[in-house]
Amino acid sequence: MAAPSQMATSQLYCWEGDWDLPSVDNECLIVLAYAKFAGAPLKLHKIGNPWRSPTGSLPALKTRKNGSLSQPSDIIIHLRKQKYNADFDLSAKEEADTLAFISLLEEKLMPALVYTRWIDPKNYVEVTRRWHAKHAPFPLNFFLPGSIQRQQLERLRLVRGDEELTAGEELELYCDAMECMNLLSQRPSPLDSFVFGYLHLKSLDNLSHFCSNILALYFPSEGREGFSRKVSSQPEGGDADNEPGKRRKQLLSVLVALGAMLSYALLTGIVAIQHVKQEALDHRSPGLTSLSSNEEEDEEGRG
Amino acid sequence: MSLAAEAFVSQIAGCRGPERTISRIKQSAEPWPENATLYQPLREDQILLSDCASSLAVQAYLRMCNLPVHVSCRSNAEYMSPSGKVPFVHVGNQVVSELGPIVQFTKAKGHSLSDGLDDVQRAEMKAYMELVNNMLLTAELYIQWCDDTTATEISRPRYSSPYSWPLNQILAYQKQWEVRRKMNAIGWAGKSLEQVYEDVSQCCQALSQRLGTQPYFFNKQPTELDALVFGHLFTILTTRLTSDELGEKIKSYSNLLAFCRRIEQSYFEDSQAGSSSRGYSKGPSLF
Repeated sequence: MAAPSQMATSQLYCWEGDWDLPSVDNECLIVLAYAKFAGAPLKLHKIGNPWRSPTGSLPALKTRKNGSLSQPSDIIIHLRKQKYNADFDLSAKEEADTLAFISLLEEKLMPALVYTRWIDPKNYVEVTRRWHAKHAPFPLNFFLPGSIQRQQLERLRLVRGDEELTAGEELELYCDAMECMNLLSQRPSPLDSFVFGYLHLKSLDNLSHFCSNILALYFPSEGREGFSRKVSSQPEGGDADNEPGKRRKQLLSVLVALGAMLSYALLTGIVAIQHVKQEALDHRSPGLTSLSSNEEEDEEGRG
Repeated sequence: MSLAAEAFVSQIAGCRGPERTISRIKQSAEPWPENATLYQPLREDQILLSDCASSLAVQAYLRMCNLPVHVSCRSNAEYMSPSGKVPFVHVGNQVVSELGPIVQFTKAKGHSLSDGLDDVQRAEMKAYMELVNNMLLTAELYIQWCDDTTATEISRPRYSSPYSWPLNQILAYQKQWEVRRKMNAIGWAGKSLEQVYEDVSQCCQALSQRLGTQPYFFNKQPTELDALVFGHLFTILTTRLTSDELGEKIKSYSNLLAFCRRIEQSYFEDSQAGSSSRGYSKGPSLF
């Protein structure tokens, strides 16, 4: 059979894994899961630097004869053609349905996930940018996250046909994603790899159980404990149980920032302290009071 | 903002935002007027494959719903449209563009083709509509604007035909640049023409498998999916491009051909010759 010898030299490049997942990127997860389901022998390269991949982006499949492919649907179609078919026991109608639902996911769910990971300011700064900056080599770590963010924003705008992605738009994205997941949860679907790839974020209960089963079964080496807890503030109404740590960290960072700004403002006299507030400050931090009142006198002298 | 979004989304399901719901409720009270108009670019000289397909899909849908609409061709239809895409319909004092929003609009007025479907079928219908948009429409745009031969010989001259120099050059190249930017963003820029034809073939195979031997996709009654598929397939079959390969891909699926013929005979028999009812044998072009 020609297929195994051809496949033996195909190489798959993916983002590295973290947070108990084989890979941090949706599309890489899709391809990895499909390859595992289909039992395709691929040489796996997990990297943190997309410039090392043959196409410049991840995921990427480098084949012997057909060059390099980068879209997940193209990669899966190629694997299917090589007879590594995770759904060869499907009827023709079910195969057609698979293709249709893949399009639905790409159109409705992907924008919301891209938004959550790359565009939502809190998530981007706290989680995504930090991860990418940590895993990319110097000096790439300075500009790589920003450049990927610009690419994703551009993609989102063009896919949605909106020139301006204002704050109100994200609600539409989430509505679409909710609708899409409601539609999916009704189907007994053989779209396992795609669904898994898009749903590593906790959302509907039945789908999340499904994901943890897949992880335990196919990716036992990546850890037993379920899912990415840090990846996002769950827009699809996920439970808040795994959130308190993150919320606390956010709250702390906000408080620290506020405290720093306030003390800077007080120290340089940008904020003038009234006598009424003087008493309140007396109770809290006498040291600060004396310092600020001194500064105030200085400011009055200077101003 | 994310917290607010969480709370909001957990309370609504599948809705499109409060403002649109309210305006839909207001409009639903009014019946469909007699003077509803559909606007598209000029049929003979200007309209391109993808726009013609979208327009035909909307016309087919409205005919299936028995809603009268008058087709008006304007050279600046694209600029008149609220979303920048054609076709759009002017109904009463509302202007709605593209098939998706038009379907929702007619549903709010009480006309719907997909009411008889259960949830699973509705999910399938939406998925297949996305498939057509994702693969067929994108392939049409690719062939029109990213294939140099077609762009030079057909698309740019046609697109800018109503305008004089130098506006025609500017507008044509601007449109081409926009479409190529979109192809880049969704990852189609690196595809060759052969790969695009292959994708079209995959899409047609999926549609053919889903249709099987039934008259329509959901057995006895047509739905918006049938209108959309008809719009695209019929337009591809009756348009002469620089090569026939696209049409040939579709012709290899006999049930899709029969499907197109059936819808043409059922819903477009009464229209004037040469307008939307075109014979397969003479293969009329959009020239």
